[in-house]
Amino acid sequence: MATTAEGFDAHHEEHAAHDHADHKPSFFSRWFMSTNHKDIGTLYLIFAIIAGVIGGVISGLMRAELGSPGLQVMGGVVNFLGGDGASFDQQGHMWNVLITAHGLIMVFFMVMPAMIGGFGNWFVPLMIGAPDMAFPRMNNISFWLTVAGFFSLLFSLFVPGGTGLGAGTGWTVYAPLSTTGSVGPAVDFAIFSLHLAGAGSILGATNFITTIFNMRAPGMTLHKMPLFVWSVLVTAFLLLLALPVLAAAITMLLTDRNFGTTFFDPAGGGDPVLYQHLFWFFGHPEVYIMILPGFGMISQIVATFSRKPVFGYLGMAYAMVAIGVVGFIVWAHHMYTVGLDVNTKMYFTAATMVIAVPTGIKIFSWIATMWGGSLEFKSPMVWALGFIFLFTVGGVTGVVLANGGIDDNLHDTYYVVAHFHYVLSMGAVFSLFAGFYYWFPKMSGRWHSEFLSHVHFWIFFVGVNMIFFPMHFLGLQGMARRYPDYTPAFTYWNEIATYGYMVMGVSMIVFFVNIGYALVAGKRAPGNYWGEGATTLEWSLSSPPPFHQFETLPVIEDHHSADDHISEKPATA
Amino acid sequence: MESIDAMNFGAIARKKLNLLTLLVVAAMAMVALPVGSFAQEDGGVSLDEGSVAEPLETTVTEAEAAGFDYYGPEMIKGQPVSSDEDFWGSMTFQDQYTETGEYALWMHDAILLPIIVAISIFVLFLLLWVVFRYNKRSNTVPSKTSHNTVIEVIWTVIPVLILVVIAVPSISLLAEQYKSPPEDAITIKANGYQWYWGYEYLDNGGFEVISNMMPESDALDEGLPPQLAVDNRMVVPVGVPIRLQTFGADVIHSFGIPSLWFKLDAVPGRINEKMLTIDEPGIYYGQCMELCGARHGYMPIAIEARPLEEYNAWVQSQPGGMTRAQIEAEEAAAAAPAPAEDTTEVEGVRPPVSSELDAPIAGEAPTEDTSPTT
Amino acid sequence: MTTMTLEDRNKRTMMIAFGMALAMLGLGYAAVPLYDLFCRVTGFGGTTQVASESDAAMAERLAASAGGVSYSIRFDANTARNMPWEFKPVQVTDSVAIGQRDMAFYTARNNSDAPITGTATFNVEPEQAGRYFNKIQCFCFTEQTLQPGQEIRMPVLYYVDPAALEDPNMEGVEQITLSYTFHKAGQEPSSGEENPS
Repeated sequence: MATTAEGFDAHHEEHAAHDHADHKPSFFSRWFMSTNHKDIGTLYLIFAIIAGVIGGVISGLMRAELGSPGLQVMGGVVNFLGGDGASFDQQGHMWNVLITAHGLIMVFFMVMPAMIGGFGNWFVPLMIGAPDMAFPRMNNISFWLTVAGFFSLLFSLFVPGGTGLGAGTGWTVYAPLSTTGSVGPAVDFAIFSLHLAGAGSILGATNFITTIFNMRAPGMTLHKMPLFVWSVLVTAFLLLLALPVLAAAITMLLTDRNFGTTFFDPAGGGDPVLYQHLFWFFGHPEVYIMILPGFGMISQIVATFSRKPVFGYLGMAYAMVAIGVVGFIVWAHHMYTVGLDVNTKMYFTAATMVIAVPTGIKIFSWIATMWGGSLEFKSPMVWALGFIFLFTVGGVTGVVLANGGIDDNLHDTYYVVAHFHYVLSMGAVFSLFAGFYYWFPKMSGRWHSEFLSHVHFWIFFVGVNMIFFPMHFLGLQGMARRYPDYTPAFTYWNEIATYGYMVMGVSMIVFFVNIGYALVAGKRAPGNYWGEGATTLEWSLSSPPPFHQFETLPVIEDHHSADDHISEKPATA
Repeated sequence: MESIDAMNFGAIARKKLNLLTLLVVAAMAMVALPVGSFAQEDGGVSLDEGSVAEPLETTVTEAEAAGFDYYGPEMIKGQPVSSDEDFWGSMTFQDQYTETGEYALWMHDAILLPIIVAISIFVLFLLLWVVFRYNKRSNTVPSKTSHNTVIEVIWTVIPVLILVVIAVPSISLLAEQYKSPPEDAITIKANGYQWYWGYEYLDNGGFEVISNMMPESDALDEGLPPQLAVDNRMVVPVGVPIRLQTFGADVIHSFGIPSLWFKLDAVPGRINEKMLTIDEPGIYYGQCMELCGARHGYMPIAIEARPLEEYNAWVQSQPGGMTRAQIEAEEAAAAAPAPAEDTTEVEGVRPPVSSELDAPIAGEAPTEDTSPTT
Repeated sequence: MTTMTLEDRNKRTMMIAFGMALAMLGLGYAAVPLYDLFCRVTGFGGTTQVASESDAAMAERLAASAGGVSYSIRFDANTARNMPWEFKPVQVTDSVAIGQRDMAFYTARNNSDAPITGTATFNVEPEQAGRYFNKIQCFCFTEQTLQPGQEIRMPVLYYVDPAALEDPNMEGVEQITLSYTFHKAGQEPSSGEENPS
């Protein structure tokens, strides 16, 4: 069977009769009992889009509430969910529920499923020349565990959680607010949701590690893997090492809540600060889990549209490894005000600033990749350029926050909110959109509108900057995070942020129109629609790839230089 | 290798088109929502008196009875600036009224901010440069360069040097912030409760001032900032080191004052401590900075810093409040007849604890065995 | 290339990966006793040390050469919000020569009309003083039960280790606050496997 792009294109044009490589199961078993990495990837992406819309609507409610001082929106939300909207405490509680749900949904049910579950599942096997993931059935379990976790979280919105319905603990679920401070089953369901999603992610991570280590095509050494595969490998290790610690911490929360243990309860000799240590030992690697696959995608995209190999391939790969390793030893910079002694704070200040070095290497290597290239500004490239700049802005505010003494004023203010939305909402989400437009025709076989993609980019770019840039000012002025209400002096910049949300919302309509257009009326996409710059193995297949690919493994040429500029010999069966 | 249709999204999506329409409608709705919110600015629910936590002790009346004059709005120094008043001021830190705060502000404004702005502009410039210089039209043949050891070393070493430049003042700022208060610093403990603050004056007789947020209408009547104004302020002396301790009675709270560059968590089961010396008399506003439940946003902090004599006068106006001089005088009087504690200083012998006690002693035989007695 | 089949290699990699995850899960739980131990050994977070009579005697001999430096000790008392006890130190501050044993007293009174068992948590500030603050006897080592209206005096026998003088982090420390918080002990005796430490 031929595996060259030309071969598939030919078949595609001819609409050839049944090939056993494309034999597909019935609808139900295909989509509910799927063992095909591409189908599971598709499911993950659809799931992430749905979760993202829900999380986005929640942030809309939050921005609406913060559009002006006073409580405007929360009462209606409480009534809508079946509580007593006139009760002041229930309104305040609902605010906490919304910030909690927004955080958990965006982290665990939008960014992670899209990056790792969606693009990781779709393209890791394709890029390394494997027929599928190592454990296809485990792959399916991972997905449905994530879905179950999401439902558990949604369910928690409708059960009592203390002063009102739902879990209002913040995504960090700090004890003792989450133990003695929140009576009722809502927090239990929220914790259980993290258990399910975490278990799914650990299984997924195991699957990726096994696939990447054992199932690479002949000739594809680790140092020839595309950078996206490298990024998923590092991410998988971070998941494998960080998530069990979260699992342990939240299980202890559950037993503290329900079975009388006192791991984090000072009344029984526990320590609430220990929970924070455990949470952030997971939580800091978690933020790299959310961004590293994005780094990988940006590397692929920048190389493709510069028509150049990635600059400093090894530096790029090992910078990600370094970020992953250092990510495990900086956790207490999230806890600068908790009462750390001076030496601890100095250590974490220094260790945190070290992360800027490998991150800088990545930024400059992307620019060097473009330097001397022949740049083509297709939609993925535009998103990638936006990513590089906005991620830099988010990164430098991170350097400010790394300083323990400066953080004393900025901790838990909107400056922190601005910082992590610049690296996540603009870093991770921009890379997701870049990856989406890069691979959408490959996954669906149909072209999106490049025009609408550019429109989407520009409106989104303006919108998110309007939302999040003023938050730096609010944070510097001392506006606290997680507040539904504020003193009138903060009104101006909050209004701008809320208008920014509306702009961003318009751009999302463009996005959905674009997908709808592509699916209904999009032109058919050839195998390698980006041209000579796109060199990884997925471009040697048709768009969409056959249901089963690489039944005969491709053989990778031996290049003299180690980079991810890989071409592939037609294999002979 | 046929039936590509079923492989792509099209087949599914066409069936889900209804759902998609729904989502688009929902997205439009969520865009429209905030507009509505602006329209009903005055219709919102505000914090009414009934929902304010019942104060455990009322101290304000007593203080006023004793004729103590609290500062009015003209003495407010630490509060956020609105953009109407001072557009540029609303984009940066509040003015600082402590030495460490001024140092930290200098470090941010003179070192960090220029560096991060320069880095961002540099990256933006490089991006624009490659966009204009190396686009497909300007540069049709891409180079194949993928390595340059010299440049890679440069962009590793220069960031390291920049970080060292940042680290030096950062470390000395930390050292400054962690200076221990002198023995005679005035000790005040801020207790975080759901959802108000209690200020315990440990060196002045141990009374506690309970501080609740002032209802919005009262604050506006008095010309004070709503959401920040409180009924009973935390009165502290100016120019004198304060040993500020924090404690969380139920969940974790955080005592944060932006204009004093001060933030310290109030954790259940332990106290935290930090020195605070305020430079100028005035009112400084802060808020709870750690999510603590439904009314997390409604437990502000207001510090009123007064010259020491006025502080002492205020202390005497409080029930049970005594100045340090009064306490010393009382102790001296009490110590003369009965040097009770001296018995405990018998060297090397376990002191005869129970004999000198007027009440039964707890933990009769405290040992190193830490196992519980249940 | 190994001689193992792909399936076997995959299984082996999976088992190694699961092993790593399990080890981290174990480490998460092990963090509880390890953190406790770490705090006790290093005084992290202002955790005080437990000393025996002989330790104290040793410290006293060492202190003889230290030349009469003394620290001011502040005694601080808190109660958790659901704890209806009145708990306060008898003396707010005291001065103690380094290495010398001193005894301080707290009083607790049960203001409710039911017997209540309480347990105390503690720390010192500034935190770097934790490793030098030694307690020989303390009411916090055990649980206390108070009948309705009952009031007790509770002793703490402590000393400050002369090694504090050699620690640069202790420079400038003039006063050490010893803080206690009384909590209601858990209703179920089974929850007592956590030490009040």
